[in-house]
Amino acid sequence: MQFKRPVVAYVILIIAALVALYPLVDVVLMSFKDLPGIVSSPFSLPTSWHFDNYTTAWSQGNLLLYLVNTAIVSVVAVVVIVFFSSLAAYVIARFDFRGNQVIYLTFLAGLALPIQMIAVPLFILMKQIGLVGNLLSVILIYAASGLSFSVFLLVNFIRSVPKDLEEAATLDGASYFQIYWHVILPLIRPSLSTTALLNFLTAWNGFFFPLILLTNPNRMTVAVGVLSFVGQYSTQWNLLLPALVIVMLPTIIVFALASRQFIRNMTAGAVKM
Amino acid sequence: MRRRRWHVIVGFLGPALILYLIFIVYPFLSSLRYSLYNWNGVGPLTDFIGIKNFTFVLFSHSFAPMFWRAVWHNLYFFAMSMVLTTIFGLLLAYLLIGIKERPSRWFQVFYFIPMVVPPVVVAYIWSMYLEPGYGAIPQLLSALHLDALNVPFLGSEALALPTIAVITAWAGMGFPILIFIASMLNIPEEMIEAAKVDGAGRWRTFRSVIFPFIRPTFLTITTLNFVGAFNAFDLIYIMEGTQAGPNYATDVIGTLFYRTAFGGFGTTAQGVGLATALAFVGFFIVMIASAILVFLQRRAAMDL
Repeated sequence: MQFKRPVVAYVILIIAALVALYPLVDVVLMSFKDLPGIVSSPFSLPTSWHFDNYTTAWSQGNLLLYLVNTAIVSVVAVVVIVFFSSLAAYVIARFDFRGNQVIYLTFLAGLALPIQMIAVPLFILMKQIGLVGNLLSVILIYAASGLSFSVFLLVNFIRSVPKDLEEAATLDGASYFQIYWHVILPLIRPSLSTTALLNFLTAWNGFFFPLILLTNPNRMTVAVGVLSFVGQYSTQWNLLLPALVIVMLPTIIVFALASRQFIRNMTAGAVKM
Repeated sequence: MRRRRWHVIVGFLGPALILYLIFIVYPFLSSLRYSLYNWNGVGPLTDFIGIKNFTFVLFSHSFAPMFWRAVWHNLYFFAMSMVLTTIFGLLLAYLLIGIKERPSRWFQVFYFIPMVVPPVVVAYIWSMYLEPGYGAIPQLLSALHLDALNVPFLGSEALALPTIAVITAWAGMGFPILIFIASMLNIPEEMIEAAKVDGAGRWRTFRSVIFPFIRPTFLTITTLNFVGAFNAFDLIYIMEGTQAGPNYATDVIGTLFYRTAFGGFGTTAQGVGLATALAFVGFFIVMIASAILVFLQRRAAMDL
């Protein structure tokens, strides 16, 4: 379906790319301006580069703390999801036992459940087990709610590959864990990296549960932390913009590193819709 | 050997299943229970009131109007995102499969980037751009002498919700583009060639070959947009506050639920029972719509 003369296509695509990316580039550029510059001439390049915006925002905004908290939440949640869901998916896809289907369908049902819907009982549960205000509360919620999609994706993927390698490994006397570790894991790497990336972004960008569970300033994640930062410095865009840049850079960097593989997996139907 | 197999099944499945049962299944079931009680979240669960919370949400004079207004706003949000993702998502996907693969992949990465930006950043970027008086967009409009268009977008009852829908579409366009591409890449090249041989032009080929082929995908996009629209919360909360201003013009089920469950400026929490009932009704709307859409999708896929 190649265009013979793709000039018009390229023009439209480039304009669309500018619409998608200009605001993000602009925020970075503006974050180096002083306040009058931001307000009076939003379209010009900075005339002088105010790196001190960053040092001030960094020291006044608790940003390091928020970043560390968010990193702990996202990384732990992703590791738990990847590890637990791949173990479970291996058993569901390859072991025939009573209850297999019921368990698989229980996981699948979670795909239809918007997690916010059970926010109230989750909040009450967290209160009962004393985890309100603890990063672990949000980690557990993201880990549990990420399982459905991940199990679904991995079961489908494992079922689609032939059993030959596993059977050969069994003949060589490998244990089930060795088969999981040395055969299954390398095999499902593309799907695993897709779920890892999606779950990382969900956890890093998550807003609702940190909002209701992590209200202690020492335990806030970036999404909520920036909100309280804005509360204090509402019109000081010269401090707010560097904070926004610092908050969005990690996700963009992680995505940039994983993007080629991710786009290829998505359009190759790694995620069956 | 059989015993060992059971150890493996329990050991491998256990961690995921326990986590899932405690933090998804159990809260879901308790939510069903709470919705049948008049309960404010503290003390024992004693005041059983049957389905009164549900009738209160759906029919009462004091609450139902807020609920239906929120549902209407969610539907409006859904319609807006449907129009935007279809027009722009489909156009861009169509152009992307028509150019060379390498640049095409680069564009796909570019279009996806806004999706990975935290909603709090998206919300503040656009709040800043739209700030009446000194924001970039008002300044641009006044420089172009388009003063009629120069209105406080986020402060206007008529424009606040569509404005936030456009911003949501800006941030979320990457995913529908990828889904459309994945589906268009499955079209057998022969079908396109055959259409060309028959003398069909670009538009005709698109209408008669590509579009019928990707119709099931269309329903996927509808489902995603529907679920997304009924889960709308972050941007509205950050840009318009818990009261979903101006004058509740952006109040959706998410913000109404938040106020009911956790209180908000100016209102007090109205109770756990009521909030869970509200969440359930919202959930049913999404469930029923998704079930219908999945059914239609199956049928469309079979028609091919």
